[in-house]
Amino acid sequence: MRVALFVPCYVDLITPEVGVSVVRLLRKLGVEVIYPEGQTCCGQPAFNSGFFDEARSVARHFLDVFEGERFDYVVCPSGSCATMVSHYYPFLLEERPAERERAEAMGGRVRELSDFLVNVVGANAGDLGARYEGRAVFHTGCHGRRELGLLEEPRELLEGVEGLELVEWPNEELCCGFGGTFSVKMPDVSTAMADEKIKALEGSGADTLISGDSSCLMHLAGRLRRTGHDTRVLHLAQVLDPENGGGK
Amino acid sequence: MADRAEFLASIRHRTRTGKYKPTHAPDVAWTPKESPPETRLIEDPSARFIEKLEALKGHGFRAESGDEAREYVVSLARSRGAKLLVRWDDEELAGFDAPLADAGVEVAVPRDPEGLREVAGRADVGLSTASWAIAETGSLVLESGQGRGRSVTLLPPTYVAVLRADRILGTVPEAISKYAGGKVPANVCFHTGPSRSGDIEMSLVVGMHGPGDVHVVVVG
Amino acid sequence: METKKPPRQRDTRDRREEGIVSPVEGFNERGRKAAGDKALHDAIQLFTHKSVAGRNAVLNALPEAPELRERAYGIKQRTMANLDRYLEQMADAVEDRGGNVFFADDGEDVVRYIGELARRRGAKVITKSKSMATEEIELNHRLEEDYADLDLEIVETDLGEWIAQLAGDTPSHIVGPILHMNLERVTKILSGAAGENLPPNVQALAAFARKRLRQKFLTADVGITGANFGVAETGTIVTVTNEGNGRLVTSVPPVHVVVMGIEKLIPRFEDLSVFTRLLARSGTGQELTVYTNFVTGPRAEGELDGAEEFHLILMDNGRSKLLGTPFEEALYCIRCGACLNVCPVYRQTGGHAYGSTYSGPIGAVITPLLKGTDEAKDLPHASSLCGACWEACPVGIPLHDLLLKLRNHQVEEGLAGKGQKAAFKVFENTMKSPALYNISRKAGRLAQKPLLKDGSVKPVPGPTSGWTGSRDLPPLAKKSFRELWKEGI
Ligand code: SF4
Repeated sequence: MRVALFVPCYVDLITPEVGVSVVRLLRKLGVEVIYPEGQTCCGQPAFNSGFFDEARSVARHFLDVFEGERFDYVVCPSGSCATMVSHYYPFLLEERPAERERAEAMGGRVRELSDFLVNVVGANAGDLGARYEGRAVFHTGCHGRRELGLLEEPRELLEGVEGLELVEWPNEELCCGFGGTFSVKMPDVSTAMADEKIKALEGSGADTLISGDSSCLMHLAGRLRRTGHDTRVLHLAQVLDPENGGGK
Repeated sequence: MADRAEFLASIRHRTRTGKYKPTHAPDVAWTPKESPPETRLIEDPSARFIEKLEALKGHGFRAESGDEAREYVVSLARSRGAKLLVRWDDEELAGFDAPLADAGVEVAVPRDPEGLREVAGRADVGLSTASWAIAETGSLVLESGQGRGRSVTLLPPTYVAVLRADRILGTVPEAISKYAGGKVPANVCFHTGPSRSGDIEMSLVVGMHGPGDVHVVVVG
Repeated sequence: METKKPPRQRDTRDRREEGIVSPVEGFNERGRKAAGDKALHDAIQLFTHKSVAGRNAVLNALPEAPELRERAYGIKQRTMANLDRYLEQMADAVEDRGGNVFFADDGEDVVRYIGELARRRGAKVITKSKSMATEEIELNHRLEEDYADLDLEIVETDLGEWIAQLAGDTPSHIVGPILHMNLERVTKILSGAAGENLPPNVQALAAFARKRLRQKFLTADVGITGANFGVAETGTIVTVTNEGNGRLVTSVPPVHVVVMGIEKLIPRFEDLSVFTRLLARSGTGQELTVYTNFVTGPRAEGELDGAEEFHLILMDNGRSKLLGTPFEEALYCIRCGACLNVCPVYRQTGGHAYGSTYSGPIGAVITPLLKGTDEAKDLPHASSLCGACWEACPVGIPLHDLLLKLRNHQVEEGLAGKGQKAAFKVFENTMKSPALYNISRKAGRLAQKPLLKDGSVKPVPGPTSGWTGSRDLPPLAKKSFRELWKEGI
């Protein structure tokens, strides 16, 4: 099995350790990992702001870069960026049949990390030797939840992590308030949404917040830090990666 | 003023020349529930109907006979201190007049609009039959018609309907199919429990504009 | 004279100046205020939590719900594709039953038709049951203004709508119009109408309203309703209410006028078995609304009540523009309000922040579409695009995708600010060139150096301030993933 790693731009630039953990996890499972170096961003910021032409041109770049490689799957540690490619590239290229076909072919091969681990390789946390001390809540990013339908997969993985207690929190289906450019266009409402999540988190008694999307984590962590919380904030890949020592 | 032909032509133009046809079917987000809850099987429609109605704060009563139904209505009128009862002009209800009169309750059977207007607003009890009832929701199906004033079921604070058990249908689709593709009376109402409102702080108010005291007597 | 309300406070600010660089000024400002209002916040939470819980419970108990949703979408799709034919069928059916049909291009047409009707009938009192279509065209206000000589008394009869009317307020939710008011406020409003102090007790207040509105029901000359559905096959108008006001307004006054948006049409009576079941469950968590009332034309020969005169107004008001466009699905809405209840943005801001008749996700979609995209430019941005609305929608309208298309439409119409346009051009050029991407990464790291403090980027004015005002911003990592990969993992 050979996979091409798609590392979202903010993971590349801000939380590269998440990408490193993904590589280690995949290799541990005997998966060959390549990293197409021409990759940049999926184009979502422009797309979400309505700049479809600009997003289309970034999408074409993505397709060019990944089509130039040989692999079985594209694996991405973000439900949001995976959705951008699998669902919204075809949406963007709807009226251009040839390109749409390219996008659909690529989309069919893109897998969010937990989806790939559970549904493609059938991995579990035990195989990975994952261990983590703490009480954690899991936040499913909205794209992962609603477009990709990935509700069970991350939980299944986390439930197998030794030492980790996964607890429920109220209204866990609510968006964290990030929403890409929404978070800066409407900072007050966006922050109020984060506060609602944080209130639920406090009530759950968890000391750790885990998600499969670094963007949601960046948003919630930003607010947690500003409000003086010391909750640990980790990407799923970091929790599953024993060498990361549970992200510490 | 919009002209009908023009109005329709402009719509026709848009629907015929619009190049975009929506194609998104609703997505995976609604997955079927695997096992239908057992409560969906309706073995005894009358029992289910009454159970549902009571859950909505209505009152259901199973009468073995017409006599028992009349007794129920008479004692209901008495317990509400009723002086005036207004009813539909319906043969099935004719037998209620004498026992009600014996109990000191005046019965009005309006036969023209003025008559109805005069009594419906001040009657203490409204009495009607129903064309059908729906077991799964506890609803009455009321049809308008000659002598069957809509306000009889709406204006008095207490409302009681009497219907035969064999008029109770299972589901909403069954009730709707009674009218599908055919003639629909000027008014049909699926009346499901007492009138209610939750507009003020989500607190339940029973008997908002329609009757808050709703009774259904199922005969047989 | 409790219905002589103070003049409606209209939003008169000129929104045109609000560029798209900060396209959400209007919404964000109102949203910010709302999100900081504790009482409002609690009221919204109470309403939305109860509604969502109720909805989930009844839908989960209906195994065919997913199938009904598919069918609902399919029926609406078919209806819109042949809307002209169904409208004609509807009009013919109503006329066959002795009703009158009027096609209205806009609110102006509706106001004129009803005003002239009221004049001809010598009407004094008009009772109304809750109707979003008439809210949309501000019918009450305009009738009172344009037909001032008739001295009409127009009374909303839905408890919440009536209270809003008394207060000169507007509904903040399609289903729960005054969810933003607490008991104290309602007590004050109704006490004003009563001319005496009423106790702050829901039952007592409702009893007062019942008594007062009862007089209106009995004396009304005209009853106006909206339509939840119009059945083309039979000419039937369906209204659902829990209070019974819908049935009263259509049963007691001698004249019944229906104001129906043309998109409310469904082809066959049988289709109601799909929609009535979805609407009650999605909107209020009920299996069926208390009064699901079907009116077909005026009262029949020999009937004792029901209107003698029946008028159906089929209103376009911007709807037909959407037919055959990528926005057509916005017309499939059955106004159940479920998308509002699940929307995390609505749950922070409530309905008034939207500054429009329709709020929440459907409001953010439909308002600019009906009014023209240069109106309400902020609304398509009032969403994190989480998709909760689409998930909840009983007709499966992809509301979040429509919001995206609207944002794109704004860009294409040249409504986007220059700054934003330039920024995304830079974004595009950077992201399609790995070399540029690498250079900007390095430049970014240099630029942030003086701003680093305790592991975060300090809040400074400029492009990051939208974020850093309320949240810490993590710095760029010392080495990017790409660099780490090159070094070997
Ligand atoms: S868009 Fe869908 S969920 Fe929202 S009100 Fe309309 S029908 Fe209901």
